Amino acid sequence: MKIMTPYPADPLPISEKSTAYRIALSAALAALALIFSYIEVLIPFLPALPGVKLGIANLVIIIALYKLGFRYALIIDLIRIAAAGVLFTGAFATLYSLSGAVISLIVMYLLMKSRLFSVTGVSMAGGAAHNTGQLLAAALIVSTSKVFVYFSVLVISGVLCGAFIGVIAFLIMEKISFSSFSLYQ
Amino acid sequence: MFRKSDIILAAIILAVGIGASVFSAGGGAGEKVVITVDGKIFGTYELFEDRIVTIRRNGHINKVKIRDGEVSMAESDCPNQDCVHQGKISRPSQSIICLPNKVVVEIKGGKNEDYDSISR
Repeated sequence: MKIMTPYPADPLPISEKSTAYRIALSAALAALALIFSYIEVLIPFLPALPGVKLGIANLVIIIALYKLGFRYALIIDLIRIAAAGVLFTGAFATLYSLSGAVISLIVMYLLMKSRLFSVTGVSMAGGAAHNTGQLLAAALIVSTSKVFVYFSVLVISGVLCGAFIGVIAFLIMEKISFSSFSLYQ
Repeated sequence: MFRKSDIILAAIILAVGIGASVFSAGGGAGEKVVITVDGKIFGTYELFEDRIVTIRRNGHINKVKIRDGEVSMAESDCPNQDCVHQGKISRPSQSIICLPNKVVVEIKGGKNEDYDSISR
């Protein structure tokens, strides 16, 4: 006879391949990405250069992209941007982030699928693409191409910060096992 | 952690980025240099047309140099010479002010004042 206890000694066996598991994980990752966005608002990286950010939130997105796939990464990123927009960044910054994030994610997805580059290279291109997307949105909003004078600053910072985030993503994915639900190893 | 292809990718991105930046830097779109003396507009000049503007007002002389999209106070007969020492300005909403002679040199953007004010 089996005695029922309110708390089972072992956690319930939920398959890591199940949709429920992935949705729960995505929610946790979205929350983490939101916190990273908030940290970035609190601590400006280089206040003298607007638009230059470390992009810590992108760390979560890259890992989600590699381990859960494009659709989950996109949803996590959209939730992060929407929540961050309502909570602390404001309407204009949300538009910039949105265009940056979508372009960045598409670029990172294509480069990841090409299998030519490591996480570092993918993240680097993602950083540069993110800043390019933001600048495109800025150029559309203020309807001038003059903002592209600032392009070199944003591309260089995007590559440097993206490489930094990529190295961290590489180390995290190496140390923490995601093998049971990974799609692209 | 790094692959050779990553470094090639970085080099390509940087080259394209800097190239596009240099390309768009040429031929400024409608930025003006506005000079006011004692609160009244003395004259408005194109930022990307090289010239030297000599301002003679109230017994004082100032010379403003506009060159390659940069503006500087070349000469002034004011006692402190702060305006001359300030150096060059080139972006919208920047200004050089010569307080003793009441001369204000300001760069005004074409359509937008300065996009930095709404981005972060």
